[in-house]
Amino acid sequence: MNGQDPSTDTSLLETPDMSTPHAVLDRTPSAYTPHPTYRLPPGSARHYQNQYADMYFARLAQLKPATLAIAADAFDTFSIADETARRVDRVLDVRQGELCWVVGTCYMEMPLKPNVLDDIGKEHWIAAPPTRVKYDHPSVALEAGEGAHGAHAGGTGGVGTQIMLEDESGRLRLTGSFLRGCLLVTGAIVAVVGTENKDGDFEVLDLRVPDLPRQPQRWEADDGNTALTGKKPGSKKKRPRAGKVAIVSGLGISGDEGDTLTLDLLLEYLLGESTSPADQEDASTISRLIIAGNSLSHASPIPSRQDVITAATKNAAKASGTRKYGYDSAAYNAAPTDRLDQWLASLLPSMPITLLPGAQDPTSTSLPQQPIHAAMFPHSRNYMAPPTATTKDGDGEEVGWFDSQTNPADFTLDGFRFLGTGGQPVDDVYKYIAGEERLEMMEAMLRWRLSAPTAPDTLPCYPFQDEDQFVIKDCPHVFFVGNQPRFETTLIEGPVGQAVRIIAVPRFKETGEVVVVDMETLVPEVVRFEVFD
Amino acid sequence: MAQDYTEYLAINVLNEQQLVSYRSLSRALKVHSNLAKQMLYEFHRKQNAKKPGSVHATYLITGIRRAQSPAHTNGVHSQEDGDDTVMQSSPPLPSSFAPHHEEEAEEPVAVRSVLLVKEEHLEQAKATFDSVTGIHINSLQANGLSDVQSLTECNRKIVESYASEDPLQAWKQYGTIQNPNVKRRTQRKGPPPPARIAKDADAKMKPLAPTTKPTALEKQASKESKDSQESKPASKPSSAKATPEPSKKPAAVNRQGSDIFKSFAKGKTKPKKEDSQSSAEATAAATEPEDEAMGGFSEEEDDAEDGAADVDEVPKESEGKSKKEREADLQAMMDQEDEIMEDAAEAIPDKTAEEQDEGAIDKPDSQQAEEPAKDTVTMENGRRRGRRRVMKKKTVKDEDGYLVTKEEAAWESFSEDEPPPKKIEAAPAASTNKPAAGKKAAKAGQGNIMSFFSKK
Repeated sequence: MNGQDPSTDTSLLETPDMSTPHAVLDRTPSAYTPHPTYRLPPGSARHYQNQYADMYFARLAQLKPATLAIAADAFDTFSIADETARRVDRVLDVRQGELCWVVGTCYMEMPLKPNVLDDIGKEHWIAAPPTRVKYDHPSVALEAGEGAHGAHAGGTGGVGTQIMLEDESGRLRLTGSFLRGCLLVTGAIVAVVGTENKDGDFEVLDLRVPDLPRQPQRWEADDGNTALTGKKPGSKKKRPRAGKVAIVSGLGISGDEGDTLTLDLLLEYLLGESTSPADQEDASTISRLIIAGNSLSHASPIPSRQDVITAATKNAAKASGTRKYGYDSAAYNAAPTDRLDQWLASLLPSMPITLLPGAQDPTSTSLPQQPIHAAMFPHSRNYMAPPTATTKDGDGEEVGWFDSQTNPADFTLDGFRFLGTGGQPVDDVYKYIAGEERLEMMEAMLRWRLSAPTAPDTLPCYPFQDEDQFVIKDCPHVFFVGNQPRFETTLIEGPVGQAVRIIAVPRFKETGEVVVVDMETLVPEVVRFEVFD
Repeated sequence: MAQDYTEYLAINVLNEQQLVSYRSLSRALKVHSNLAKQMLYEFHRKQNAKKPGSVHATYLITGIRRAQSPAHTNGVHSQEDGDDTVMQSSPPLPSSFAPHHEEEAEEPVAVRSVLLVKEEHLEQAKATFDSVTGIHINSLQANGLSDVQSLTECNRKIVESYASEDPLQAWKQYGTIQNPNVKRRTQRKGPPPPARIAKDADAKMKPLAPTTKPTALEKQASKESKDSQESKPASKPSSAKATPEPSKKPAAVNRQGSDIFKSFAKGKTKPKKEDSQSSAEATAAATEPEDEAMGGFSEEEDDAEDGAADVDEVPKESEGKSKKEREADLQAMMDQEDEIMEDAAEAIPDKTAEEQDEGAIDKPDSQQAEEPAKDTVTMENGRRRGRRRVMKKKTVKDEDGYLVTKEEAAWESFSEDEPPPKKIEAAPAASTNKPAAGKKAAKAGQGNIMSFFSKK
């Protein structure tokens, strides 16, 4: 039966031969440079008193030129019935009956969006709002009679979603059947052409987005650095063949031990100890592991609704005097973090790791999530960069073997620009848009040039003052999003030849899948770890 | 070596009924993982040839699996669906976006499976594979494996047992993929060693001395200098001193203790003396006996102490009488002390101090069993010999809710001609917050303090 498949390597089902030495493989090196794009200034340099409106203004100011360029291209020749569209500077300058185009920020008014005033009215505890699958109201969808198109039923004037265009001057309500075909969320900068109708609403005839920004060449960041530092730029420097990178997310380590067998299988595979020699050689080409969020399953500092309810009932039962909002330190269970730390420490001697935090990880909950602190990893700490008096620039900051990164994360790996998130922005965009196509949402996010378009509307974030850091300035080569329900991937193209590989990384805890991307071709493949039932 | 693994496996799998994975075997025998897998196979084969079903195995199969039914996997590769997950309602992207997805053919994505399977399901599992690239034994067990999840035990044990190994050196022999670029920094040392703390204490001691406020140094000095009157006034000053003492952190107190060690070049530990002195000195007036005592141990004192001793003298004088009165009382109550017999006056305050001290210590005694025996002091003929407590400070809450800093004893032998460290004892023992206003008050204070001594 072993001879069935000639490609089967059954050398390990043999009598051991002590004389032949077994090869010890070396791992392909990984050229890695993180960028401090999403690092917030430390400590007291962070200011939370800023208004969030400034973020919207900054975003519009940053993206307006690009949008204007694209829209001018498209709309300057746009004409209907001999009338050419005219560009209008401010949203409120549109005139009734006149064909014009304008650039602004999209704002969507949806009935089920979390509303802070409602929350304050109803309850008094500090907890995460109840999760909604979609923000559109189901009854609206039925009225519109279009299945799940409820989100865009605003065009019919019914109760529910309304889409508006906003800029510094004011807001303009958008209507029109064209909108049904568009992916729109609050915070996207768009250019629309159309005319104002009798109701004062703007009927949209066409829509443009900033589209992908300029994509740097491969190795551009590294070559740029060498030029800056005065070293001789090896323009023809022979770089060794890059290996592969493994991306996993949603390890979901909790205190119970029932599900860590697949984790062990993954560890052994990456270490090159399990599987046959041929597979081990394959594994030795994996030069880095990226963990894209949710390594722990229940470690967010903000208690979920359920936690607060349990705590409240427990307190009531004990009739204790103190009511603890939020964190009860006596209930801290160190087992999950310990398990994660041991797991990482077992892998680190062989492979560098980049760790992104996720929605359930013990770090800040508002975007951009800051790196998980080294204090959480007593064993893996030795592989991290030593703490330095950091400046925001991070110039001269050493990059650790084990790099705890922000979420979203921006780094250069083997010359390619990577942009990755732990999943929260995409999950939030998902709530706005009817439909299940997550890849399309990711593509839309790239074309809007926003890594977290719905922040700060429904996604908590830091109030940036001068500049919206979520604006994507350089087009990445790979955009990966963790904690998605399924593995999906596609390749999108930009107007000037950019090509981006989009990868939706599934949750390891549920699917046992790891995405392995070949860094030379940027083609992903999946390795699935399972236990036979 | 060939015998080793058979033996090892026979012991662990058959006799001890443990679960042995290839990783545990490779760590135990220090061999390459692939070799360990072969060893497992060989053992499994031989044992089952001798007695079928004696050893059960789990296998690890890698390969490309046949497409599963949707119920099995929710991550079916996209080559099946193509891009037709564009379902009911996904709106087509506006023309400004790139070519529609529906038109693109989704490139098939290679999915490799790594499957752990028990030996009874091996054939079944193999049948689900399109092609198998590798297969090996993962673990062996004597009886059937009831819960596959118990395999996590193996890895957990490995982590535990081999935690002392340095992965960068030891793992090469196990066949782990090596990485020449790994960066690791050495673990920083733990908390700074105690010597530094003592040094700090020293430094603290010196500046403390000049101040007239009750300080440890002053106590030192006063203890050294005067024995006689110190007990009663010792209690007061010690209480007074105790107030600032606890306010300084207990760490400081500890430092003072070790400090005093250092300050005694002659190797005489006088933590007790320090304390009692500090307690004693505060506002107590120096007494004549003080002067005597001063001469006696000036040699032993720190410079700081000497300096402070002068200050101490004055307070001692005023308290001398009260001390004498109390001494008599105390003498009766105290069983053992380090007191100097030559100077009764001194001795009594010493006793007092010691009483207080010991009383205070009694309480912490129950908490820490660090004072196994009492001070033994042989008769002094100007020279005391015997074992003596060396004081370390400890802060406890007394019955009234006050924080009491006491000196806890460590035992040591000494031989010296110096007044007994009664003051030292008095100081910590009396380091409560209660102010002892005068002799009477001191007496009352002593009475109060005496209540500390439940057993003596």
